[in-house]
Amino acid sequence: MPELRKDPILGRWVIISSERGKRPSDFALPQDRRKEGGFCPFDSGNEYTTPPEILAYRDNGTEANKPGWKLRVVPNKFPALQIEGALDRVGEGMFDKMNGIGAHEVIIETPDHDATLASMSPKAVEDVLWAYRDRIMDLKRDLRFRYALIFKNHGIIAGATLEHSHSQLIALPIVPKRVREEVDGALTYYKYKERCIFCDIVHQELDAGTRVVGENSEFAAIAPFAPRFPFETWILPKKHDSSFEDASPKQFVSLATMLQETLRRLDVVLENPAYNYILHTSPFREEDNEYYHWHIEIMPKLTKVAGFEWGSGFFINPTPPEEAARFLREARIVRP
Amino acid sequence: MKTILVVDDEANIRRLYGEELTDAGYRVVCAASWEEARRALESDRFDLVTLDIRMGEGPDGIEALRLIKESHPALPVVLVTAYGEYQADFGSWAAEGYVVKSSDLTELKEHIGLVLSRSAP
Repeated sequence: MPELRKDPILGRWVIISSERGKRPSDFALPQDRRKEGGFCPFDSGNEYTTPPEILAYRDNGTEANKPGWKLRVVPNKFPALQIEGALDRVGEGMFDKMNGIGAHEVIIETPDHDATLASMSPKAVEDVLWAYRDRIMDLKRDLRFRYALIFKNHGIIAGATLEHSHSQLIALPIVPKRVREEVDGALTYYKYKERCIFCDIVHQELDAGTRVVGENSEFAAIAPFAPRFPFETWILPKKHDSSFEDASPKQFVSLATMLQETLRRLDVVLENPAYNYILHTSPFREEDNEYYHWHIEIMPKLTKVAGFEWGSGFFINPTPPEEAARFLREARIVRP
Repeated sequence: MKTILVVDDEANIRRLYGEELTDAGYRVVCAASWEEARRALESDRFDLVTLDIRMGEGPDGIEALRLIKESHPALPVVLVTAYGEYQADFGSWAAEGYVVKSSDLTELKEHIGLVLSRSAP
């Protein structure tokens, strides 16, 4: 019989239709289209097509906006939001609006067009995490911004328009509703129990083990109790930490390993799926708190969101997280 | 005088751009399809192309942009579109400008002036 499960943080219900019991091989996995030989503005040598870099990790002695980099961060060339200008919040009758201030940046994770986070060296993945941290720290100084959303679209069906490995950062003058709901959900739990809900989830999942995908000294990768999507996986620090940017160098080494291992497990089990991942961290000006716990949510693109999901806010997940975790845990991967 | 190739499958847009850009001091050649644009690029010399990103026939705008950059790497292209989704397509970064289609050509003319001043020898 299908099962309704409630996400303890957001109160969101999902339908785990376990009788459909989809195994990895049951998904019609669409192969990503690759444009062979096409022009790529992210390739080394094409730096002239991007706006000037905001941040780059490059070989000593190499010139900015020229080859010789390991990772570059550039502003979006055609941004939807503008970085320049003052915030101007106004009311129009009962409606609220403000001018479109924001920062939209692209983290070009490697000069190698064909590399992926799963195939890069662990140090290169660590550099990506450091770049996230460096950019958050810089944007936090801008008092107009309240949140920096970092996400990755991998594969065309996950929304990536280029196959060259990259992530994006959008700094916003408001805390997004979805983030606010999650932080407030964690706060409500904290007020009731005086404990971080995510810490409780990590402890309970590691004790039970049935939804554990992987674990190392600092991080746990788990299939959440009420996942919206098949093979949805979260990576959380095992110790309480409210803000990603406060992670220690040791944690970044550990996270790079855990992220890469998890992506490799997904690649093995689901044959290189398209996926989105999103870094969930505390909003600016409330970074240091007892109730929220930063983490990364990885969502392979295996199902479509349609009318029922849009209308109800429910999600139908055909793969129970216990089964997804077992497939991922038992995947034979080559460790970095 | 700088020469601009206007590529757009809508006759009204070609006429509007032709008149306004001519008034602004440019020589304007119009192409109604990718095939016409390709022939014009082979036979004439241009300083800039305005490219409608979604035309009825031929390759989509991002692919057309790639083809232009393959054959004429130094030729600046300003993408013109009524569709917002292309703004998120990093393939558009090969273009020098991106303008949302409007009957008010102020922004387009500003972009053209800026791009031409950057690419001036």
